[in-house]
Amino acid sequence: MRSSGIAVAGGLVATLGLTACGGGSSGGSDPAKFDAAGGTAVAAECKAAPVKGGSLVYSRQAETQSLNPIDLRNGNGDIFASELLYNGLTRADPKGGDELLPGLAESWEVSNGGKTYTFKLRQGVKFSNGDPLTAEDVKFSLDRFGDPKINQILSVVAVGYDKATVVDDSTVRVDLTEPVAAFLYNISIFPAFIVPKKLVEEQGDAFWKTPVGTGPYRLKKFVRGSYIAFERNPHYWEDGKPYLDEVRFNFASDSNSRLLALKNDQAQIADGVPFSQIDPLKADKNVVLQQTKVPQFVGLWLNHKRAPLADLNVRKAMQLALDRDQIKNGIFKGAGSVPNSVLPPLKYDAGADQVPPYPFDLAQAKAEMAKSKHAQGFSTTLQYPAGYDYYKQLGLLLQNQWGQIGIKVKLIEEDGATGTDRFNSGDYDMTIPYAQFTSDLTVPDEYAGFLADPASGTNGFFSNWSDPAITKMVKTFATTPDEAERAKQWPVIQKAMLDQTPVINVINLPSITAHRTNVCGTDINALGADHLENTWLTTAKASR
Amino acid sequence: MTLYVLRRLALSVGVLFGLAVVTFFMIHLVPGDPVQLALGGRGTPEAVAEVRGQLGLDRPLLTQFGDFLGGVVTGDLGLSVAQNAPVTEIIGQRLAPSAILIVYGLFVALVIGVPLAIIAALRPNGVVDNGIRLVTTFAFAMPAFWLGLMLALIFGLSLKWFPVSGYESGIGGILRTLTLPAVTLGLSLAVVVVRTLRSSLLEVLQTEYIDAARSRGLGEWRVVGRHALRNAVMATITVLSVDIGFLIGGTVVVESVFQIPGAGSLLVESVRARDYELVQAIALIAGAAVVLLSLATDLLQATIDPRVRLAKR
Repeated sequence: MRSSGIAVAGGLVATLGLTACGGGSSGGSDPAKFDAAGGTAVAAECKAAPVKGGSLVYSRQAETQSLNPIDLRNGNGDIFASELLYNGLTRADPKGGDELLPGLAESWEVSNGGKTYTFKLRQGVKFSNGDPLTAEDVKFSLDRFGDPKINQILSVVAVGYDKATVVDDSTVRVDLTEPVAAFLYNISIFPAFIVPKKLVEEQGDAFWKTPVGTGPYRLKKFVRGSYIAFERNPHYWEDGKPYLDEVRFNFASDSNSRLLALKNDQAQIADGVPFSQIDPLKADKNVVLQQTKVPQFVGLWLNHKRAPLADLNVRKAMQLALDRDQIKNGIFKGAGSVPNSVLPPLKYDAGADQVPPYPFDLAQAKAEMAKSKHAQGFSTTLQYPAGYDYYKQLGLLLQNQWGQIGIKVKLIEEDGATGTDRFNSGDYDMTIPYAQFTSDLTVPDEYAGFLADPASGTNGFFSNWSDPAITKMVKTFATTPDEAERAKQWPVIQKAMLDQTPVINVINLPSITAHRTNVCGTDINALGADHLENTWLTTAKASR
Repeated sequence: MTLYVLRRLALSVGVLFGLAVVTFFMIHLVPGDPVQLALGGRGTPEAVAEVRGQLGLDRPLLTQFGDFLGGVVTGDLGLSVAQNAPVTEIIGQRLAPSAILIVYGLFVALVIGVPLAIIAALRPNGVVDNGIRLVTTFAFAMPAFWLGLMLALIFGLSLKWFPVSGYESGIGGILRTLTLPAVTLGLSLAVVVVRTLRSSLLEVLQTEYIDAARSRGLGEWRVVGRHALRNAVMATITVLSVDIGFLIGGTVVVESVFQIPGAGSLLVESVRARDYELVQAIALIAGAAVVLLSLATDLLQATIDPRVRLAKR
């Protein structure tokens, strides 16, 4: 995202333990701490009972622009702020993993063949202004979620929504037009966050400037382009939480600035740690690196309107010619994992024993090319997002690896807006359309639907690929309410898609954050959102 | 003088109109759909069409351009699609940090540049002169990005005199947060001050009126500082006024390195988001700043040097 001059300077700066390249900005399940020096001592301190108080500064890659969870403008910059202010009826496990926990609903029942959900609301929940949460608020918010004129950014997750009905003060029933297996997941994320009906109706657009929610923090001050500060919501429904008095997101699009602020203790957490910084940060005894599994990948899209790429043998040859270990260690510094799916890591994914990944096998790749209609090789182009050192390196590596099976790849660096435009209009041969390519849900329904269900209206997720057999399987999967049945169906789809390889998942990527050793309870859920209600500082007492 | 100023102002309106035309059509020609980007790439075609209609982006380009010009006159610059907020409100919050940074940067350039130029001119081609030229050229040759990071590393991280990034308002806050950025800007500009001032000082120092001043027994510092500098500084002012455009551009990088919420970084974000309204507004304001500052420079020169007769130009 930075200018080329900055990227050039990056090489020099790296020698000082800093860098100029960007990186992902989410986190997720199964937090695996890196082997940071001093990690043991930190862990011991964090085992003590949490201490209340103190303020935390979080240096964030993405700027917050909108506090309206149904009308986001800047992806994670807005999502992570909304996560502090609001709650949904359900929520992802703060500790990570792809299971759902009760949120503002304490329980629910599914009936009518998966078409009716009846939610029992949590008792005694209040908004941050002290007003009680009512069933009317829930109905109002869910109806907004289900209205494509209001939910313009992510109406895909409102698929099948019909209406909500207030049954009594603490019960809300939701009716769907068809069974939607992922419904509880769909309402766990931002477009379905619950907001106070009365205030939103009374204040209109002005409400989102000083919003009120049930989340652990409430808005204190928002300075556009600079920072957003939150303070503890005294009415928050989880006992004793949050621990921090104040949280402040400082917006720092430049990775060097984020890491400098972290090293200087001007910030205690920083997100979007660049891959090139993994090794230098491991050596810093004041900092702990946290790597989290999220549904993020380097998705390399193939346009099936281009004859060679519509050839299955060619696509298989391309998969087999990829030396993913070299990519992982050379470019991503050992972070990331070899995928056994064309999609990012998702719930119900089978392991490598059941669905083996494509091995790196040049001889077999050449044999596949020989079997194809393009045995003599062909020329094509690959677009990738500008401003990221690691995509530049990846492009060169792919050019080299595919060159060995006769595919001549011309590299085209595109700025984000142009890349997205060309992707959406099908004007590409091969493209890495998004710098951070992450599923909105941990379940496969959204991405599998985009790729294989023509009803999504995206023409095979803009790849022009279709396979009626897989479409049928995906439709069945998305409307099967039974969990065990879904867990059986998905690996079959996963394997069928991998065999067809309509697109290429080059590598699964984690999100990497870094925090100072006095920060504990740095829970990140499976979608990469921090749960700062669980975060506390070992130094809180001293700082007060 | 009044006539001159009026004529220049009328000319400026023409220049700004040209700038508005170029900016408007260039940003619309670049590929990328602001609505699709604002909706995060997951908006359905219906949602995209609806928002485009709400923002009036579905109307003919000339109509949109006319509306934009009308907005400039009435002070209503429209709605930023990327930030979902009025353009005037967004820019209002981001102009001050950039303006202060530029003024502070100029101040630093002068504080460093003027004494060095005088010292260099007093002993031309000596060790000190060559040393000054070498050091300032070295500072100029360093990319602002690199120089800023080095300053942040030394004075922020190691010595802890200043924060490594961020912005605070108020005199104390500005001194704390904008000093390193201003030094970054100022150092790269100091060489311009030193070079132009040194050479014109050398020229002036050989004129007869300086000899006369010296022969009256005035001290060397007084001769240079009082008599020579006043004449020599004209060239520097001219060069600096041309460099205002460079300074405004330079803030983009410096604001990014130090995370200052200024107009420069806002412009970059807006271009990235194809936020037409914001891009047009910022380009126009920056253009207006350059035009007005160049006029101000001419007026300043006339004040300093009575030989400059503006009205007759």
